[in-house]
Amino acid sequence: MKNGREVVIAGVGMTRFNSYDGKNAERPNKEYTDLGSEAILHALDDADMEWGEIEAAFCGSVYCGTASGHQTIEKIGMTGIPIVNVENACSSGSSAFRLAYQMIQAGLYDVVLAAGFEVMPRGFIKSTSWPEWQRYMGFNVQPASYAMQTVRYMQETGATEEDFARVTVKNRKNGALNPNARMQKPVTLQEVMESRMIAKPMRLLHACPLADGGTAVILSTRDRLKKDGGPVTVAASVLTSGTYGHIYGGGSVKFKKPDTIEISAQKAWAESGLGPEDMDVVQAYDTMSSGELWDLEKLGFCGKGEAPALLRDGHFDLDGKLPVNTDGGLMARGHPLGATALAQIIEIYLQLRGEAGPRQVPNAKAGLAHAMGAGPNSGIVILKR
Amino acid sequence: MTSKEQVPLKENLWRDTGEGQRLMGSRCLNCGELFFPVKENGLCTQCQSKDLEEFVFSQRGTVYSCTCVMQRPPVYYHGDVPYAIGFVELPEGIRIETLFTDCDIEDVHVGMEVELVIEKLHEDTEGRDVMTYKFRPAN
Repeated sequence: MKNGREVVIAGVGMTRFNSYDGKNAERPNKEYTDLGSEAILHALDDADMEWGEIEAAFCGSVYCGTASGHQTIEKIGMTGIPIVNVENACSSGSSAFRLAYQMIQAGLYDVVLAAGFEVMPRGFIKSTSWPEWQRYMGFNVQPASYAMQTVRYMQETGATEEDFARVTVKNRKNGALNPNARMQKPVTLQEVMESRMIAKPMRLLHACPLADGGTAVILSTRDRLKKDGGPVTVAASVLTSGTYGHIYGGGSVKFKKPDTIEISAQKAWAESGLGPEDMDVVQAYDTMSSGELWDLEKLGFCGKGEAPALLRDGHFDLDGKLPVNTDGGLMARGHPLGATALAQIIEIYLQLRGEAGPRQVPNAKAGLAHAMGAGPNSGIVILKR
Repeated sequence: MTSKEQVPLKENLWRDTGEGQRLMGSRCLNCGELFFPVKENGLCTQCQSKDLEEFVFSQRGTVYSCTCVMQRPPVYYHGDVPYAIGFVELPEGIRIETLFTDCDIEDVHVGMEVELVIEKLHEDTEGRDVMTYKFRPAN
């Protein structure tokens, strides 16, 4: 924290991530305003706060259109507070979180809401994060962009398709312990390896499923905190966007070092005064399974090319030395774009509070949540007790 | 028989140089950075210099990375599916994202020698052939 007030998390809430399409009783038809407002009400309950205490709201979404935060909050009650809608692709939630954090840090408000919600379009995400002529060339396919990075990762580290499948197996196993996950059934290595190819070498079960859902985090100063059990402090909240030479640049790609993730990690470690060795639990960004491995390397938890062997040895398992994606990550939880980044943060909060139920990591004191987004964006939040 | 009218996907991506079709770009005279396609606003996005010159790229390169897309994207692209895309590294040290053609898409691999070709991408709503650049295995 640079010359600002301490910011703590006052409460969190989320809906189950699911497909809310009305197909059966488990998945009733819901709008993003339903999911977002439910999550906000859960967070108020968790924080033991009244709606009138919220002084400003930042709302992350990608496909919900204009004034989506206003329409969501309309379901709870308009009180005249500033509502700002934040679209920053898959890192919208952590971008909203960071704005809320900065407002309190700077002394403008004492209690601020960060929310995220989404009802997803079906199929491949209609990403417009490329110049139009490149979309006609068929480049605007996120799994394909990941596949091309994965091919390079395999070339440079010797990682195999099976290594990536192990990420899915681990995260789906964790997701089976998370009642808010879209996918609550484990999968086997064989099931992943036999699932259909979507962008070689990435198969269907190497990709996170889309989902609809809502998330909310209330941030406050320490003296406004009502929930007992000791504060969870925001040790860092950083955002790095669009380093030069990235994949969305239009035509040519440099892959310059340090890249977006590495720069954001350097900033997060500097801001928090903590290091990878201080983290007890991590939410890495696993929109595609291979991404989790290089994410852990770029965040500084191990050297380049070392993550696959550590994964094989159980290092990142729930009972391993550094549990990663304890709630199932995007792979099991599902991916409602605007809500995802806050879900990453919520899991770290629950772990630090000792409220993670059957997936609780004993004595977790500090943790890191990461979310990437097209642009590119890399948002990192570090929480500590 | 008259051939069908052809339009480029985007102006100024390539040009017939007399020695065959070549991709066109920009070179920054201040920092030396290369860009594809041409920087239409004349600004270097590495150093923000306005001192750019037109640059003609080599016709051949090697595959830096590639994938086969097995599912039709929701909008825009309406060529064949599955299709192969990837990055081709040119001798000048720039990597160009491209479609691959004239080969079994499963055969495209890292390190493969490829060359530029100008080909039909799709037919537009007025029945014209929309042309684009692709790379194919080098002879």
